[in-house]
Parts: sequence; C-alpha cells; structure tokens
Amino acid sequence: MQEFSPSTLLALVPLLPLAGAILTVLLGRQLGAKAHLPAIAGIAGAAAVAVMLLVATARDVAPADGVHAEPVRPVEMIATLWNWATFDSAYAPPPGSPAADTRLSPQELAAGKDARAFSIPVALRLDPLTATMLTIITCVGLLVAIYSTGYMHDDPGYPRFFALVAMFVFSMSMLVAASNFLLVYVFWEAVGACSYLLIGFWFTKPEAARAAKKAFLVNRIGDFGLAIAVFLLWMTYGTLDFHDTISSDGVIMPGILGQTRLADAAGYVGGVLGTAICLLLLLAACGKSAQLPLHVWLPDAMEGPTPASALIHAATMVTAGIYLITRSAPLFAACPGALTVVSIVGATTALVAALIGTVQNDLKRVLAYSTISQLGYMFASLGTGTMLGFTAAIFHLLTHACFKALLFLGAGSVMHAMGGVIDMRRFGGLRRVMPITAATFLVGAAALAGVAPFAGFFSKDEILAALHAKAWPAAHGDHHASATAGEAFHLASFASDSAQSAGVAVGLDALDRPETWQILFWMSLITAGLTAFYTFRAVFMTFTGPTRVPEGAHGHGHSHDAGHADHGHDSHHGHDGHLADSYESPWAMTLPLVILAVPSALIGWLLFSTNWLAHFLSATPSLTAPAVAATATPHAFHMNLAIQGTLAAAIGIVVAAIGHLGQRSDGPQLERFLGPLQTLFSNTFYFDQIYSALVVRPLEGLALVAALFDRYVIDGTVDAIAGIPVALGGIVRRSQSGLLQRYALAGVMGVLAIVVLLAWQLRG
Amino acid sequence: MNTMQSLPLLQNALTVGAILFSLGLVGILTRRNLIVMFLAAEMMLQGISVSLVAWSRYHGDWGGHVLVIFVLTVAACEAAVALVFVLQAFSRTGRLDSAAWQSLREATVGRTVDHELPSIDTVPPRFPTLTPAGILPAADENEPLQREHV
Repeated sequence: MQEFSPSTLLALVPLLPLAGAILTVLLGRQLGAKAHLPAIAGIAGAAAVAVMLLVATARDVAPADGVHAEPVRPVEMIATLWNWATFDSAYAPPPGSPAADTRLSPQELAAGKDARAFSIPVALRLDPLTATMLTIITCVGLLVAIYSTGYMHDDPGYPRFFALVAMFVFSMSMLVAASNFLLVYVFWEAVGACSYLLIGFWFTKPEAARAAKKAFLVNRIGDFGLAIAVFLLWMTYGTLDFHDTISSDGVIMPGILGQTRLADAAGYVGGVLGTAICLLLLLAACGKSAQLPLHVWLPDAMEGPTPASALIHAATMVTAGIYLITRSAPLFAACPGALTVVSIVGATTALVAALIGTVQNDLKRVLAYSTISQLGYMFASLGTGTMLGFTAAIFHLLTHACFKALLFLGAGSVMHAMGGVIDMRRFGGLRRVMPITAATFLVGAAALAGVAPFAGFFSKDEILAALHAKAWPAAHGDHHASATAGEAFHLASFASDSAQSAGVAVGLDALDRPETWQILFWMSLITAGLTAFYTFRAVFMTFTGPTRVPEGAHGHGHSHDAGHADHGHDSHHGHDGHLADSYESPWAMTLPLVILAVPSALIGWLLFSTNWLAHFLSATPSLTAPAVAATATPHAFHMNLAIQGTLAAAIGIVVAAIGHLGQRSDGPQLERFLGPLQTLFSNTFYFDQIYSALVVRPLEGLALVAALFDRYVIDGTVDAIAGIPVALGGIVRRSQSGLLQRYALAGVMGVLAIVVLLAWQLRG
Repeated sequence: MNTMQSLPLLQNALTVGAILFSLGLVGILTRRNLIVMFLAAEMMLQGISVSLVAWSRYHGDWGGHVLVIFVLTVAACEAAVALVFVLQAFSRTGRLDSAAWQSLREATVGRTVDHELPSIDTVPPRFPTLTPAGILPAADENEPLQREHV
C-alpha cells in the first residue's frame, strides 16, 4: 500500500468495477460460463481497496475522549482526477450585493475578485461517511456477484448481468465518492439507468419491461428535483464543489460543504431559498429511496432478478437518498422546517408500507415493502437533525444493508429451489428441506424485527432514541434542546427577501414542535410492531407447517425421476406426495447467505457497545458543522426505549405465530381479521390507481391527441401539398389524347393567340 | 412590266391566299380521312403560293415567283411521301380514319371513341334445325296408318 497514494487508491474503487464491466462487455460471449470472472475480480479488488481506505480513515480520526465532546476534527482527503469543464468569470454576483453576501467568500472579496469561474473538477473525496458507504457497496456487491454465479447459472443473458452489476457498483461508488453536486447528479442518473436495465433484465416479459419503465419514470421525478436543487445551489453558493478549492492566485474558494464554510457561522442560507433547496433534495431522495409518494416503483421492481433486487433495491441504490441528505446535513440544519418534513415523510412512509406489507403473499413483495418501511425509518431519523439522528440513520443503513441483502438472497434461494414460484401460499415447511436457507433467513428476520441482540435491535433503538429526544426534550436534559438548535443557526440570506423569507419559513418551521415528534415516535413504535409481524408471518408461512413444494421445484436426491420440469409450469396431476430429500441451493448461493448472517447477528452489538461508528462518522466534514455537532449527546443505552421496542417486536411475533405458525401456516386468518382493510392494504392504498387516473391516463390521452394531430393534420398538410402537382398533372394529362388533329389544334390556337397579340399591339 | 402595282390588287390577292390557307387549315383540323387531310394540306400550300405571287407582283420582283416554283416542287415530293405513308397506315388497320391512331396517348386517358359500331357476334345466332327435304320422317311401326275413328 505504500507505493499507492491514497488518492490513487480512492480512484481505484470505482475504476476496478468499471474495468470489470468493460471487459465483461468485450469478452463476455467468449468467456461463456466464466463470464463472471472480470466483474467479480473488479468488485473484489474494489472491496479490498475500500476496506483498506476504511482502515486508513479510521486511523486518521482522533480517538474518542470518552467524557467530553470536544469538537471533532473533520477528516477528508480530496483526489482530483481532472478538470471536466471550466467557464471563466461565469459567476459574478449582482452589483450592490451586501458585503455579507454568502456567495463570494470574504477572502475573495478581500482579494478584489468580483467574479468566479465555473469549473467542474472530477474530484473524489474520502471521508468517514464515504468510506463507510464504499465498504457497504463493494462488499455487498461482491457477495451478490458470487451469489449470482449460482442463481443466474442457466440464463442466456449471463454476461450481460455481470456487466450491469459491475457497472452499477462503479456508478454507486462514484456517487458516494464524488465531491461535486453535478457529478453526484450524473451518477444519480447512472444508477437509475443501471436499475432500469437490471429490472428489465428479462425484457421480453411485458411485466418486467413495464416495471423497468415505471421505475425509471418515477426516479425521473426525483431527478428533476435534484436538477433544480443543483441550479439553486449554484445560484446561492456560487460553486457546486463540496470541498474548498484554491485558485491559481492563492485565494480560497469555499465549497458548499468545505471546511471554510462549515466553520463559518453564517455560511448557510436559510429562509425560503434554503428550505426550497432542502425540499428539492428531499424530493430527489424520495424518488431514489422510494418514499411516499414516489414509492410505487419499488414493489414492481421485484420483476427483476433477485440478486439485482438484493443489491440495488435493498442495500445500495435506495440508500443514495439517505446519503444525499446526510451529506447535505449543514444545508438542512439551517432549515428546521425542512427537517421536520423529512421526518414526517419518513415516518408516514414507514407506517403505510408496513401496513401494506402485512397482507402480501409474495415473499419478495413483503421484503420490498419492508425495504420501503425501513428506509422510512432512516428518513425519520435523519429529520431529527441531531448528531444522534444522522449517525443512527447511517448505522441503520449499514445493518439494513446486511440483513436485507441476506433476506433477499434467501428469498432468491427459495425461489430458485421452488422453480420460480415465490407465492408463499404454494409452498411451506421448507425448513426441513432447505436448512441453511432457513437458518440464515431466520437470522435476517430476527435482525429486521429488532430482536435483541441482533443487528436491527440496536440500530432501531438508536433511531427511536433520536425521535424520543426530539419528542420529550426535557427528559433528555442536556445542553441543546433540539427545537432551538435550528433557530440558533437560522441565517438571514439576502437583505431583499429576508422579510418575505421569514414569513414562509416560519410556516414550515411551526411544524417543528414536540407534539409533532411525539406523533412520529408513536408511529415509529407501531411500525416496529408491524415490522416484526409481517416478517415473522413470512417466515412462518414459508418455513413452518407441513412441507409442500410446487411442481417444477428443483430437488436433489429424488427417489424417482421427477424430471426437470419447466420453471413455474404446473402439471395438472400433483406429485405432492413425492418430496426430494433436499432442495438446498448450491454452495455459490448459500455461502453468501452464511457470510451475511454473521454481521446481521453481530455487527449491531459490536458497533453499539464500542460506539465506534457514531464517533467515526462524527468526523465527517458535513457532520462537523456547528449546527449539527452542537447537538451531540453522550452515548447511552436507553433501557426504557429498548423495552418499548422489544415489547412491540414481541407482540408482533406472537400475533404472527398465533396466526401463521405451523399448521395454520396458510390459513385465511389475516383476511378475516382485517376485513375491509384487507382490500385497502392489498391494493396498496390505491396509489397506483390514483397515479393512473391523475397522471397516466391524461398523458395517454395527450399522447393520443398528439398522434392524431401528427397523422391527420401534419401528415395531411404535407400530403395535400404533395397532391397539388398530382392534381394539376391529372388535369393537364387529359389533353394528351393521342389524336393528331387535337395536337395540331393546340398549335393553331397558340399561333392565333400570337397573331391577335401582335395585331393588338400594332394597332394600339 | 410595271414596278409598282396597285394596292387593291395586292389586298385582294392576299385575301384570296388567306382564304385558301384558312380553308386548308380548317380542313386539316376537322377532316378525319387521311387523304382529305392531305388534300387540305396541299390547299394550304397553294394559298401560300398565291400570297407569294401577290407580293412578288406588288414589288415587281421575281423572287416570289421563284419561291412558288420551289414550293410546287416540294409539294409534289411531299405528296409522294405522304401517300406512301397513307398506304402503309391503311394496310395496317384497313381504315383511313386518323382517329384509328391513338396509341401515343397517356396511359390513364381512355380511347376517344365518337361512335360505336355494332359489334359483330362471333357466335352465330341459333337457327331452328329442320329436317332435310326428300327424306321420309321416321315412322312409328305401332301407329296405325289410319285413324281408328273420326
């Protein structure tokens, strides 16, 4: 490692998977069954480098002092690869701006500069948040790639899948490492495109193609928000870089999240403009992380291959929204109203998605709604705006990546063994014939439900603690009541619209009251109970009860030859009595399950007890902003919250057991219990129908009008213009009769005309 | 002879020439018989000749007269060629109708037919068949030669 500089290593993390993707595209057909090798090699190399960078960054972070929270020194390392574009003097604030203009820095004003160039450097930044995200992305990516060698084994699109997975790891790595908002936007779009290609992997299936299109279009709405936010950021801060840059004559140009601006108490804009930027960033995050109302694409995205769902829709792409908001923490800290909106969106999404997930019969759909719900938890935590909130969200992101990827890969293992069937009512009691899958799935489910001491318990506890601290600030005592933290750093931006901004900003800021947070806390607690319920309902329906498999399932050790029936085909004569000895998946698929089960079980306790992650993340420059760092609280284990969380989880598991354990595994108890609510939940609260009526049908009507206009008006005009010579020709053609005397007559008429003309002119 | 003739004579002669020319022109345009069309063309030439002679006498010049001799010579040669053409046309179609030659018309324009000849049936009409004369009709042996009762 000594011969590679850290910036080279940082650049290697995205570039190795990119090289793997390019090699897979070029050599895929020739490699045939070994087409996974370039991609796995690239991702494995990236994972190794990411872990090395994590260790290096952890060494740079000063050790925790234990007692007093002295301000943590931010840790970052910038690696500028090249300068993509530069426009000189592109930015000049209007004349007459007040001297306290936040756009040009005091150093620049002092140096007599009145204009700044707009440049987009391709710069990567390594700080604790990036190092954590890179490790998660590459390690989960590696495990998913290994799993896919078993799952996608017979697929004709085998090389294409690995090229896409490697391309995705490249795009996501660049997204979290990029140090410029425009680059983030570019790779935001890139991961959306990779998601589209992976969801629509089996594009000949109409549902898959439709789901891919839906995912891309819904993401596009979020991308629109991000684009407008980027424009506003440029207008407000004069640059799009995160880090500070030094111009050629030694003047520091502060980046949006650079250390100069972070140290400046008046560095961030609040009011209308700031809230608008933050809400647009929230819109982008909602699109990518499937929050209300842009969550409709994620359940349909289950049409894609299960490893893709595990990678993209559980562990990595959907966390891009969380990353963006955490990265923009100082921007949000200046707008308490926006933070409250973030939490409201998150908690509402968590509850709604959990309710919908309780009635799903498709195992992957249950996990999809569970993902939406857990992401809602993370948003709720981010919206508290405290250091605990941000670190708890990232902690939950890490544990969620582990156990959700585990659950999805386990579901894939079940689906692969059952011959493509994933409806839980068609199989049961699989723990006897798929022991490894059952055991690891149970570990993941316990982690998801928040059962102590698995990983999810600790991260969920931290989130509940963050919400509780905002809801009952007096109970948590200490220095900063979170309700005032935002006001203390509420900054006036421009003299011209400060009065106006005070009016609108106060409107949203009024949401930031303890009562709001109390409601959100209770919603989250109920959601925790529902999470445990639907998770264990899925576990009981799949793995307990009488052992049944559908026809077409792949089994080993058959007593008679059931043949390799087509995937998902049912013959009309059931063979339920003849079960194979084992339906367990090959080692390429079960090994990642076992590997993922270890952190799902242990990582929560490890990171919580040493408080290592929270301290590590507090050295992220974005989180060293005074507005956020001042809200840091000492690390504590809240026993009452732990009891409340465990009680909710226990109630959920017990109700699930009453309803679905063992012999009652497929009974209609849930439907009978819910009654009319069953219809509401299973129709996903009619979101798809509302979108269809409000958006899709009008657009289809508009498209029809446009098509008719194009066909009849535009084409009609062109055809009419083209028809004029034809019509004229038709008239003139009738004179060509072939009769000699008529031709002669025509000549004589011409002569007569000339004679008359001449006579007329000579006479007159 | 005198170098200057009188103007009325010129005018009258030109009028005659013009009438001959016009009549010939109208004849070409309206008559359908190929030989009559040719006759009308000859008449146009004679009208031109009269005009040429009239101008020549008016100016007291011999140029017009000479040109008329040329015209007559050319007319004779042209008559030979034209009549060969008419004979060829007649031998191909058996008709002297100029309207028989319409093949160089546009494809979408129909054949100009101003009167219909009744079509000649290829199938002869059915005539009743009679027994040939001089042959006795076939007799029925069982039929008596005389009526049994009146």
